[in-house]
Amino acid sequence: MSVSVVLVKILEYMFVAGWAGSAIVLLLTGFEDVGTLLDRKDENSH
Amino acid sequence: MSSTSNSPTGNNRVRIVVATSVMLTFISYWRAAAVILNDLGSSAFYAGGIAEQAIGKSAPWFVLGVMLFAFAVRAVYVESCSMFVRGGVYRVVKEALGGTLAKLSVSALMFDYILTGPVSGVSAGQYIAGLINDTISIADAHGLIPSAIHHLFNGTPQVGVNGTAVVFGVAVTVYFWRANIKGIEESSEKALWVMQITTVMVVMLLGWSLFTLLKVGGHLPPFPTLANIHYSDESLGFWKHSKLPHMFGILGLIIGFGHSVLAMSGEESLAQVYRELAHPKLKNLKRTAIVIGVYSFVFTGLVSLLAVMLIPDGVRMKVYSDNLIAGLAMNMVGPQVVRLAFRAFVVVVGFLILSGAVNTAIVGSNGVLNRVSEDGVLADWFRRPHKKYGTTYRIINLIVGLQLFTIIVSWGNIYTLGEAYAFGVVWSFVFKTVSMLVLRYRYKGERNWKVPPNLHIFGVEIPIGLASVGMVLLSTAIVNLFTKSVATVSGIIFSVVFFAIFSFSEKINRRKHAHNAAQMKEQFQLQQAESVERETVGIRAGNVLVPVRDYNTLNHLRWVLERTDTKEQDVVVMTARISQFGSAAYGLSTEQIFSDYEQTLFTRAVSVAESFGKRISLLVVPARDPWSAIAQTAHNLESSGVVSGLSSKMTTAEQAFALGSAWEAIPEPKRQFLLQIVQPDGIVDTFRIGPHTPTMKNEDVVLLHRLWLNITREPGLENVHHHDILTEALTRFARDYGAREHEDIVKELRRHSADDLPIPVRRIADQVDTVQPGPARTDRDDAHRDAGPSGPASGTASGIKTTGSE
Repeated sequence: MSVSVVLVKILEYMFVAGWAGSAIVLLLTGFEDVGTLLDRKDENSH
Repeated sequence: MSSTSNSPTGNNRVRIVVATSVMLTFISYWRAAAVILNDLGSSAFYAGGIAEQAIGKSAPWFVLGVMLFAFAVRAVYVESCSMFVRGGVYRVVKEALGGTLAKLSVSALMFDYILTGPVSGVSAGQYIAGLINDTISIADAHGLIPSAIHHLFNGTPQVGVNGTAVVFGVAVTVYFWRANIKGIEESSEKALWVMQITTVMVVMLLGWSLFTLLKVGGHLPPFPTLANIHYSDESLGFWKHSKLPHMFGILGLIIGFGHSVLAMSGEESLAQVYRELAHPKLKNLKRTAIVIGVYSFVFTGLVSLLAVMLIPDGVRMKVYSDNLIAGLAMNMVGPQVVRLAFRAFVVVVGFLILSGAVNTAIVGSNGVLNRVSEDGVLADWFRRPHKKYGTTYRIINLIVGLQLFTIIVSWGNIYTLGEAYAFGVVWSFVFKTVSMLVLRYRYKGERNWKVPPNLHIFGVEIPIGLASVGMVLLSTAIVNLFTKSVATVSGIIFSVVFFAIFSFSEKINRRKHAHNAAQMKEQFQLQQAESVERETVGIRAGNVLVPVRDYNTLNHLRWVLERTDTKEQDVVVMTARISQFGSAAYGLSTEQIFSDYEQTLFTRAVSVAESFGKRISLLVVPARDPWSAIAQTAHNLESSGVVSGLSSKMTTAEQAFALGSAWEAIPEPKRQFLLQIVQPDGIVDTFRIGPHTPTMKNEDVVLLHRLWLNITREPGLENVHHHDILTEALTRFARDYGAREHEDIVKELRRHSADDLPIPVRRIADQVDTVQPGPARTDRDDAHRDAGPSGPASGTASGIKTTGSE
């Protein structure tokens, strides 16, 4: 395998692993976001 | 504290109180979201078209992917803001990786900011040119273009799209260059208004598109597989002749993602508005992040998707690649004239939001360069204020010069501009996220929120979420280096040149600043204070506040000193260190708040005071808005008056109105004070700020007196006063206004208002009197004079004479 192929493979693994982790981030922060939206205390919308 | 020798420290240095907390007018999360969306939302007008030109019809899936991923990037910004109130790229990178990489990250950020202007201006021009051409074509199809014009143009007359876009882009940039030189004030009100209009357009666009889909049907874009990604010649850059992009499916996804990443440009604004968010800050930041996340996902993401579903393949990239939303408007079901009218509405909204982005680019770049200049990495020469307007015109000239150069060199090619723009966007995100990762281990201060999830193994925290976001960004940024040749070459050249300028300037400045710092230490003693309080500044209530900005115009300070016995009444000379939206993200140390410029300004002020042999107190206040700073400082210091010079941009009435509006925003309880504006010709206009006894017309006084005479003749009412009659009249008026006679009263007042043509300022700051210039008084004269309109305010605002008798 050439250097460029190895580099591409590393980048691909980074991208896939990164997206998998980011999906968890989205899920967890999504739940938190729903809580934030439902919590109307201290809300100022002017 | 004083210009004379009685400093509290017992030496000859002048004490200057430097407030470290910026006096901000805090905004709700809706307004904050509007400010960010003015930048973030503008990319909906061009991001989808650029992505499809690069990777083909499956582009909308990538744009949607980017908008989804933007939620995760937002989480990184929320964490950084929970650590630093001003958690922008420069601050975070400097904290984590040091000055060198901070300079490099700022260079990438500058590339992003400088390209925001051209890409937005040119895009707006493309929409306008497209509308002109289609309107002419439709008119021609209906036989409305005379044949003579046909012959003249050898067919249907059309404007050159790119040429028009360049002319428009240049015109808008020059317009905002002029506005920034003059020193415009950014307002969240305006941003909210633009976003309200944009929302109307988005709702209409989505509703009409869904109706069209139900009526005529449509197909989803092909899913993003290697077979469905069709690279254009430009989209592979240095890999144009390589087999790599065609060998690996996931690499294709990264390339596609990299070509769509500019859809989330503008996220940095989240860190910039954080400072100005109202309490509870972190919760409101999260709410802001949700609003901008959902809005941009729906607007930028769904519009790109609907464009592919509704605009026929034959015309989408051929005709509408640079004005995709206009293409969407023209391909709905409905009469042609209505679609054309809606397209015109799209163009108006595009003009508003994209023009706003041009301005944001200039303001943001100016803020960043000011910040690094204060840090000593840009020659002080750049920060010299404009003689008339006091703005950093040299920096603005440099930014606008680079933007105009970019517009002309690109010749309206939105694809090239957008691709280059993505370089700055993605690399500033990479610097930010990597720095946040480093700070997970190095930063020991307060941190109220962390990007989830985080694992703990043997007491060591593994920031899985943060690392994941970093990996996606870094892999995309590296692939972009290969696939975006123009962006890579121009981005690297730009960043290296800026980095070299920063490094070179820093070396030169280091020695110079050391000399200046030593000189300053000899002359001034800086005392930090979290907030401005009378006790901190060491002055008495009823003082006179004198705001100064330009060291060439200190006539109003002379005017005050001529008329004030400083043994009886303190004079506080104050300057507001303005921090704009673009620079609010960057922390200011005391030395930065009190920079070379403030040193020169106060040296002059002290020398004026010394020429009168009088004491003055000096104060520097960082602020977002000068009027709020003046109003809040006057309130905190319990000043009886503010004496200001005439603004180069406003009339005295406008100045009074601005200060009056700022005063209204201060929470109760609050004090009233006098505002006196000393004009260059010596004329002084005096206004009362806050509720006060109105200036009564003579006939009203006569009427009141007659009523009083009649009423006191009534049995048992002999002791009634004039003010009792006024109280009764006002009580009755208030009751009628709040009930049945509301309409009649309003109608009547409108009639009076139209007859008198009052100036708007009267609603808040009622003009009292105008004083003609006269010979200066001595202190002895002042001691006996009435503190009326012709001199600085006395201890109470009631010193002004009013007509009427009792």
